[in-house]
Amino acid sequence: MSLAAILMMMLGVLWIGGGSVWLLTRRRYKLVQAPSFLMDLVGFPVEYAQSIWGRGGVPYALLLPNMLIFGLFTFVPMILNFYVSFTGGTSILLFNRPWVGLQQYADIFSCETIFEPRTCSNAGFSFWTGMFNTLWFVVIQVPVLCVVALVTALVVNKNIRGRGFWRAMFFYPVMLSPVVIANIWNWVLHRKGVLNEMIGGTRDQLSTMAGMTGFDIVVTVLLAVVLMVVSERALRSSDTPSLAWTAIFGALLALLFGWANPLSLIGLGGSFWLGGALALGLVLIVSSESRLARIAIIAAGILSAALLISIQFDAVFDFGRYRPVNWLVQPNTGWPFFWLVFVFTWSHMGFYMLILLAGLQAIPSDLYEAARMDATRPARAFWRITLPLIMPTLTVVLVLALIRSFQIFDEVYLLTGGGPGRETFMIVQNIYEVAFTNNNKDYGEGAAGSVLMAVVIAVFTFFQLWITRRQSEL
Amino acid sequence: MLNRLGTFLTRTAGNKDTAERFGMADFLAYGYLLLGVLIVLVPVLWTFFSSIKPERAVDSFDTRLLPIAQVQTEIEGIGTKPEWIHEAGGGGARKVFKAGPTRKETDVAPIDAPGDVFKVPRTQLRPSEEIRVATENYLDPLLKRHGQENFTFGIYLFNSIFVTVMATLITLIINAMAAFALSKYRFRGRLTFTILIVATLLIPSSIILVSLFFVVWSFGIFGSLWGVIIPAAATPTGVFLLRQYMLTIPDELLEAARMDAASEWRIFWRIVMPLSLPALSVLAILSVIWRWNDFLWPLIVLISDPEKHTIQLGLTQYAGEFDTDFHYILAMTVVSLIPITLVFVWLQRFITTGIATTGLK
Amino acid sequence: MTETSTHTLELRQIRKSFGAVDVIHGVDLAIDEGEFVVFVGPSGCGKSTLLRLIAGLDDPTSGDIMLQGKRVNAVPASERGLSMVFQSYALYPHMSVRQNLSFGLENFRMDRTEIARRVDSAAQLLQIDQLLDRRPGQLSGGQRQRVAIGRAIVREPIVFLFDEPLSNLDAELRLQMRVEISNLHDELGNTMIYVTHDQIEAMTMADRIVVLRDGRIEQVGRPLDLYNNPANRFVAGFIGAPQMNFLEGRIERNRLSLDSGLTRDVQLATRGDGRVTLGIRPEAIGVSLDGAGDMQIKVRNFEQLGSVTYIYGAFENGERLTVQLGEQIPLQRNQTIGVTLPSDRFHLFDGESGQALATGP
Repeated sequence: MSLAAILMMMLGVLWIGGGSVWLLTRRRYKLVQAPSFLMDLVGFPVEYAQSIWGRGGVPYALLLPNMLIFGLFTFVPMILNFYVSFTGGTSILLFNRPWVGLQQYADIFSCETIFEPRTCSNAGFSFWTGMFNTLWFVVIQVPVLCVVALVTALVVNKNIRGRGFWRAMFFYPVMLSPVVIANIWNWVLHRKGVLNEMIGGTRDQLSTMAGMTGFDIVVTVLLAVVLMVVSERALRSSDTPSLAWTAIFGALLALLFGWANPLSLIGLGGSFWLGGALALGLVLIVSSESRLARIAIIAAGILSAALLISIQFDAVFDFGRYRPVNWLVQPNTGWPFFWLVFVFTWSHMGFYMLILLAGLQAIPSDLYEAARMDATRPARAFWRITLPLIMPTLTVVLVLALIRSFQIFDEVYLLTGGGPGRETFMIVQNIYEVAFTNNNKDYGEGAAGSVLMAVVIAVFTFFQLWITRRQSEL
Repeated sequence: MLNRLGTFLTRTAGNKDTAERFGMADFLAYGYLLLGVLIVLVPVLWTFFSSIKPERAVDSFDTRLLPIAQVQTEIEGIGTKPEWIHEAGGGGARKVFKAGPTRKETDVAPIDAPGDVFKVPRTQLRPSEEIRVATENYLDPLLKRHGQENFTFGIYLFNSIFVTVMATLITLIINAMAAFALSKYRFRGRLTFTILIVATLLIPSSIILVSLFFVVWSFGIFGSLWGVIIPAAATPTGVFLLRQYMLTIPDELLEAARMDAASEWRIFWRIVMPLSLPALSVLAILSVIWRWNDFLWPLIVLISDPEKHTIQLGLTQYAGEFDTDFHYILAMTVVSLIPITLVFVWLQRFITTGIATTGLK
Repeated sequence: MTETSTHTLELRQIRKSFGAVDVIHGVDLAIDEGEFVVFVGPSGCGKSTLLRLIAGLDDPTSGDIMLQGKRVNAVPASERGLSMVFQSYALYPHMSVRQNLSFGLENFRMDRTEIARRVDSAAQLLQIDQLLDRRPGQLSGGQRQRVAIGRAIVREPIVFLFDEPLSNLDAELRLQMRVEISNLHDELGNTMIYVTHDQIEAMTMADRIVVLRDGRIEQVGRPLDLYNNPANRFVAGFIGAPQMNFLEGRIERNRLSLDSGLTRDVQLATRGDGRVTLGIRPEAIGVSLDGAGDMQIKVRNFEQLGSVTYIYGAFENGERLTVQLGEQIPLQRNQTIGVTLPSDRFHLFDGESGQALATGP
C-alpha cells in the first residue's frame, strides 16, 4: 500500500467519522432525515469551514475538491513532465530515477537532419516520424474538418424539411466510441468489404456496357447534351453567370480533361489536375463577378466540345479486372492516410458543425433580408455577410480542431495501428508506445516527447490566434 | 397565369410562407444530405445488418443485405449437413446433401433417401438458402458458450457502468461546488482560480500522459477503476457551463435562504442545485458520453488486468484476439453501440442544443 | 382580372396565412406616385406583414401586387426596386458606414464614381458625412437610424418602405427624426410607405393613413378626414389622443337618449331605431364650473399641463368622460361640474357593427 493510499484512507475516516460526530452533536436529525444527514455529511468540510471562518471561508472549501483534482492530476503532472524528461532508467519510483539532464532531448535530436527521420537515432526516428506525420495530418485535417463542418452547418441551417433529423444524423457519429467507429470502418474498408464490392460491381458493369457497339457515340451525344444544358443554365440569368451551374460545368470540364488526356500529346500526365485547375479558375472568375465571366464560360464550352469529340469512350470505360484495394493496409498508396482523414472527419465533424450552427443562428435574419432587398446574390451574401460574422466562431472551431487533431490516437491505433510501415504513425502513439508498451519502458523519453509536443501545440495555437486576431482588426 | 403556376410548382415544399423557391441551392442541399445519409448512416446500418448474418455469410463477405444462410439439415445416422438443390436437366429440383468431397462430379444423396448416392456435375448444384437471423452471434459471447468463455461481457459492462456512473456523480458534485463558489461569492483570489481553470482547458490531456501515470501510480490507484475515474473528474468545461448558468440565479433567493438560517452548504444543495438542474443534466449527458467512450487513458491504466477492462477495452482485445471471428466482433460492436444510440435518439434535441450553447467539449 | 395598373403600387385582394392562421384577409389598396402613406394599427394587425409582402420578403397566399403597372408577385425582393428601413436597422455590423451604404449599389455593379457620388450626397443629406468610416457599433441610436435611411436613399428606389423605424429611439429623438423623415419626403418626393403603431406619427407624417385591424383595412384617408369623419368606432377610438369619448344610448324616432340621461334630437340619413354609440372628442366638450350645461359629471382626476387641461370625469351611471380644455381652470377632485355636448360634433356609430351612421336629412 502506498503512502498516498494510507493518507487517503485517513482522510476518509476523518471525514466520515469526524463529520458524523460533529454533525450529530450540533444538529438534531430525525430518522426520516437520513438523506438530509448524508448530504450534510458530504458537505461536512464546507459546514466546518463556515463554522470556523464564517461565510468568508465557504468559497475556498467549495473550490477545494475541484482544485485539488486539477492540481494533482493536471498541474502537478504538467510540472512533473519536465522533471521526468530529465531523468532516465525504467524505474517507476521517482527517487530511483537517475538525473540525466538533457540526454533524452539529445537522443531525440541526434539526427543528421531532423527532416530525414531515417538519419536519426532510434528515439529520434520514431519521434520525428510521428511528429511529421502528425503535422502533415493536422495541416490536411483541420481545413478539411472546418470546411466540411461549415458546409454541413450551412446546409442544415437552410430552410429544409426535417432539419432536426439531419442535424441529429450528422451529429450521431460524435456519440460513438473510437472502438465502435474503428470496427465499423474496418468492416467497410476490408479487402473484401462492401466498398470494394461496390466499386468492383460498378466498374464491371461499366466495362460490360462499354463493350457494346455504339457506346462511344451514345455517350458522346449524351454528354454533349448535358454540357449544353449546363452551360446554358450557367449563362441564363441576365447579368451574371450562375455560380452553382458554373461549378457543375467546371466539374464536367475537369472530367473531360481527365478522359481526353490532352497532355499526353506532349508526353505529360496529370491532365485531370490541369482540367481541375481550369475549372477552379472559371469558378473564381464567376464568383469575383468579373465582366469576363461570360466570355470565359463560352470559351470553356468550346474547349469542352473539342475535348468531347476526341475521347474514345469505349476505351475510357473499359476498366479491365478490378483488383480490390486493401484500403488500410496497402503501403505507398496514400489510402491509409486518406481513410484516416476521412474517418476522423466522419466522427468529429458533427461536433464542430453544431458550434458553427449556433454561430450561424446568432446572425440576425434581418441582415439577410436587408441583403435581399439590396439584391445581394447568395454567393456574395456568404462571402460578405455570413463569413465575416461567423469568423469568431470559426476561430474557436479552428483552435479546437487543431488541438484535437494534434492529439489523434484512438482512431489510428485501432484502424491502422500506425501502419502500413509507419505511414500513419502519430506522435501520441509514439509517446504511448515509448512509455507504456515497449519492453524497457522509457518514461523519460516519453516525457521529453510530450514536452516537445506541448511546445509545438502551443506555438501552433498561438500562431493561429495571432493570425485571426490580425484579421479581425483589419 | 402561367408564371403563377410556375410560382406554385417551384415553391419550397412545406414552407409556402417564405418567398424562397426551389432553386439550384436547394437542389445542391438535398444532394448533400443524400450524400450524408450514404456516408453517415449506411456504414452503421451495414454493420448492423452484417452482425445478424450467420458466420458463413460473414466470412465469405456476402454483400447481400439480408441474413441469408444455407439450410442445415439433420440427417439420420450421418449428422448435420448443408443442404443443396440439384437441378437436373429435365426440370424439377431435388434437395440433396454432399455425400463425398466436392469434385467436378460430386457424390450427392437426396435428403429423404440418404443411402441413394449418385454423381452429379458440380455446376448443377446450388445452395438451398433461407433467411435466418443469426442470434448466436450475440448470444454466444454474452452467454459465454461455444468457445467464447474469455469474453466476459458482464464484467466489462459492469466496469463501464461503474466508471461512468461514479465519474459522472463526482464530476457533477465537485464541478457544481466550484461553480457555485465562483458565481455567487466575492472573495480574494476569485480571478486567480478562474484563470487556473481556464488554463486547464488549454492543457491537452495527451501531453501529460506520462507524468499523470506517475501521479496515479503513486496514489496507488493505478490498475484500479478509480485510476480512470478520479483524474478526469474535475472538468473545466463543466465548471464553466454550470457557472454561466448559476449566474442567472438571483442573489435574493440565496439571501432569503440565509434569512431562513440555512447554512451555506444547505443553500447549495437545497436551492442552487435544484435550480441548476437543466445545466446539470447537460453536463451529466456530456460526462456519460466522455466516460463511456474513453479509450486511451483506460488503455494505459487498466490494460494489464482483464478483470478491470471496460467495454471499449474488452472489445479491442476481442478484435485483436479473435481476428477471424468477424461475426462476433460485429455483434459486440452493435451491442456497445445500442445504449449510446438509444440515449441519443431519446435526448438528441437536448444534447445538440446543450453542446451548441456551451460550445465546448 | 387585368394585369395592369396606373398606380405606383396597387394591392389587389391580398391574403396571407401562416399555416392555419390568416393574417391578412383580402386587402385592396392603391398608392400613387409621391405619396407618403402610413400603415397604422395595434400590434398584430398585420401592418408589418403587409409591408413585407410588398417588399417581397414574404409571398402572399393569394392576390396581386402591382408595381408601376406590372404584377410583381413572382419578382424577388431584390428586383422590385424598393428599399426598406428595418426596425432594428439591420446594419451590417462588420462594415463601415460607407460600406454599408455602398454594399447594395455594388451588387448592381454600379460605377465606382457613381457609387461614391450617391453615398456622399446621401451622407450630406442626412448629415452623416463625418461618420462614414465608423462601424455601426460606434454610432448612437439616432445615427444608426440615419445610416439605415441612408442605405435606403442611395438605392433611389421606386418606393421607400419603413418598418417602425423610430420605435427604438427615445422620445426626444423620435420627435426629431419624425420631422427629418417628413422633410426628406418633401425633398426627395419619392413614394414612401411607413408602418407604425403610433397614431401620432401617422397623423403628423402621412399624406394618407391606412388603418388596419386584424388583417383588414378599416379606413383609408387623409389624417384630418380620419380624425373628423372616422368610418367606424375602431378608427374613431384609435385616431386622436386623448381617445374619443364613447357614450352608449339608443335612438327612437330620431330622438337620441343616452344611458347617462341626455336626450337630443338627431337627423339620421338612413337608419331607423336601435342601440347606438355616441362618440365625441374631448376637446369638443364645453365646461362650466357652476354646474350649468347639458349634464353634470363628477371630476375623478385631472391634469393641468398649462396650455391644456385634461379632466377625467364620470356620469352618475358610471360612464366615463374625458374633457380637454385649452385653458387653465381651478379644479378639485370630486367636484361636480357641468358639461355641454354640442350636437354638431357628434359621431354616431351603430351599436352592434360599430359602423359610422351618417347624420343629416
